[in-house]
Amino acid sequence: MNDKLLEVKEVYKTFDGVVHALKCVSIEACENEIVGVVGENGAGKSTLMKILVGVYSPDKGEMYHKGKMIPFPRTPKEAAKRGISIVYQENGVIPWLKVYQFLFLGHEDKYIKYMKLQTVRMKEKACEILEELHVACEVEAFMHELPLSTQKMVEIARAILGVRLESEDGDTTPIIILDEPTAPLTDDECKELFRDLLKMKKNASFIFISHIIPEVMEFTDRVHVLRDGNLVAKYDFSKEKMTEEDLFRAIVGRKSSEYISRSEDRGAADEEVVLAAKNLTKSGHFYDVSFDLHKGTCIGFFGPTGSGKSKIIRTIAGLMNYDEGELKARDQELKGDELPHVRLTRGIGYFSGETGKELFLNWSIAKNISIINMEKILGKLIPVIHFNAERKMAENIVQKLEIKAPSVGTDCYSLSGGNKQKVSVGKWLERNPDILLLDDPTIGIDVGAREDIYEVLLEMKKKGISMILVSDEPKEYSILCDKIMFVMDGRIQKVLGPEEFRKVMST
Amino acid sequence: MNHSRRNKPTLSVIKQTLKMHPVIIVFLALLLIFGSIYPGSFFSPINFKAILRQFVTLTLFALGPSFVVLTGRLDLSYVGVWMLGGVLVWLCKPVLGMFSIIMIPVTGIATGLFIGVIQTKAKIPSFILTLSLVVTYTGLSALIAGGYPRAVDGYEFITAPLIPLIPSTFIWSIPIIIAAVFLMKCTRICVYLNAIGSNEEGARLAGINVDKYKILAFMLSGVFTGIGGIILFQHLGGSAQVELKLNTIVWPLVAIVLGGTPLTGGSGGPQRTILGAITFTVFYRGLYLSALHPTMITLLVGIVLIVSIIISARGLKGVTVT
Repeated sequence: MNDKLLEVKEVYKTFDGVVHALKCVSIEACENEIVGVVGENGAGKSTLMKILVGVYSPDKGEMYHKGKMIPFPRTPKEAAKRGISIVYQENGVIPWLKVYQFLFLGHEDKYIKYMKLQTVRMKEKACEILEELHVACEVEAFMHELPLSTQKMVEIARAILGVRLESEDGDTTPIIILDEPTAPLTDDECKELFRDLLKMKKNASFIFISHIIPEVMEFTDRVHVLRDGNLVAKYDFSKEKMTEEDLFRAIVGRKSSEYISRSEDRGAADEEVVLAAKNLTKSGHFYDVSFDLHKGTCIGFFGPTGSGKSKIIRTIAGLMNYDEGELKARDQELKGDELPHVRLTRGIGYFSGETGKELFLNWSIAKNISIINMEKILGKLIPVIHFNAERKMAENIVQKLEIKAPSVGTDCYSLSGGNKQKVSVGKWLERNPDILLLDDPTIGIDVGAREDIYEVLLEMKKKGISMILVSDEPKEYSILCDKIMFVMDGRIQKVLGPEEFRKVMST
Repeated sequence: MNHSRRNKPTLSVIKQTLKMHPVIIVFLALLLIFGSIYPGSFFSPINFKAILRQFVTLTLFALGPSFVVLTGRLDLSYVGVWMLGGVLVWLCKPVLGMFSIIMIPVTGIATGLFIGVIQTKAKIPSFILTLSLVVTYTGLSALIAGGYPRAVDGYEFITAPLIPLIPSTFIWSIPIIIAAVFLMKCTRICVYLNAIGSNEEGARLAGINVDKYKILAFMLSGVFTGIGGIILFQHLGGSAQVELKLNTIVWPLVAIVLGGTPLTGGSGGPQRTILGAITFTVFYRGLYLSALHPTMITLLVGIVLIVSIIISARGLKGVTVT
């Protein structure tokens, strides 16, 4: 085995003294290898990486470089001096800079003479490094002219160059952190990126953050699995045989005790199909998605983040266009370029659990509920708003959902997270759409409030509203769904009932 | 082994230049059109001189703001700096004598610093901030000057003829133009301003002190407007003006956008503004010779502004136009 290049031991990090973002996490990276760090959203991957590059400082922990103990870096520049640099998931590229300008961005001080930038020397150096790292592009080209995968490669080259320019001793192997580099890329571009990455292995070590299991299995040498701020597993692919399912289970974890059987709440499945999709495809995101949604039932799309599940639901909501396939609500065809408000008139509502998207926080509860129920409170003869009706409607909802607020005139930002969520659900309860799309309906709220939201949603389902669920919480699927579709890499792999789903998740 | 330093044939260099600065084509086309319509008057020495004079006015007003536009913000304060600076020159003349002209650059730098700090720290849209500042400055100038323009003597040497046919103010502006192009082409400042206009978040992630460079952009704008203002002061009549004219605000903007710096920022800069200014001047002089009614000309100027904004906005989306 190679020498350990970088090692962090027993790192702890809390935010505001309450949230434990990391608990006793240790990882190590060796020379010339690609180490994977995988985990779900909120597992602590990003926090750990930000500690490595000096954006956050840990509460406790030790850091070793080539076996020598060193203090944690305090700024990204200090991290670069120790050989650590990061390529961010997004927003890293500056489209209107030329390649060589971008490569040296922030490190120009090494190339200034009498206030003048030595562009010729910069271009030469840029050529050299691109050649060395096998990145094929012109140094005079603009960044936005390059294909996405090449842009990523230039970013990686920039990170390596930054380490070389900043580090004190010249021959440190750079450690480059890649934060979900494949997220914006198509399949082909991903393959290209990985082919180039493997070539770069002899110049640098990589810490590869991802939640896309196949690419982790294929391209990393070892992998660390984080869950809820803990290091739950460590695998060396050269020694251990693993399947994708093993890794998947390690990432998601089993949450055995929490499954509550709610089968008595499930209404009898109606035969009427309210929404049908046939071979729905959006290239780069999902392929050949077909399903029938019956009246008063709920379908869940389940899979790791990045699997395309949220893209599917956004497409149905009209927030994204689809390339091919057929989408029908009852007998109406839903064209791909229809906007959300048109979908709403066809009875399809989109409910996002992010209150920032769903609510107007500086408006009152009453206004937030009436915004999508305008028709109900407009006068019959002259279409003006009847404020009495608006208030009554809101009071009705507040009472039904037990929203804790002084009055319906209270501004939403002063409510607690759970109560905000109830207002969002309440407006949909009042609206009563045919189909309600649930995008992470209980994100960021506590357990008690969750139960309340589930109750309301189940009641709506009983009334005959059909639902489609996408969530990060496996428990939610077994409570709400009648049918669960496993999505991986944008394709539906398996269709399970709630009982089978529970079995799969608990083994 | 070297992929970039191949010797490019001259033709492809020209092609590349035209692709980056399509306004050159417009410029040549305008020369051709107006030259063939009025062969006598358009290529006359008088018209040549008039074109240069107007080019100076436009360029000196538009150079400074181009630094700000590059970052995706807008600085309209140039007119205010010129007016208030002029009035302060008149006010300080009895005390400072000839040196009172220094008041214009001082006003420029102070204004740039003020706008920059307010804009970055209080996060106020720069358009509305600088617009209200112009209005304030107009009021202040009128108040100080007592409501009507004040003539100031003693700076006639700026416009005193040096070379026949070429206005001296044009010769004085050359060093300013060179300084601006040097800053743009050869220093890191403009790489950073470009980066901020192109992707501010990315620039921040790359470790650039974004706020500092935004303030610097506004200060550069103030410095260039201030120094240019010295020349403009005499160039535009040698008196302190107190009346805000729409044309003085809009024409420099047209020069910037026509030159190929989109108002959303991220590409372009002073060197393109110069091209825009000369093209717009030729366009304007051509219309002027055609004896069109002035209102007609204003209408056409407005249309040019709209068209160039649309074209430059398309350019930013990746259709290489600007």
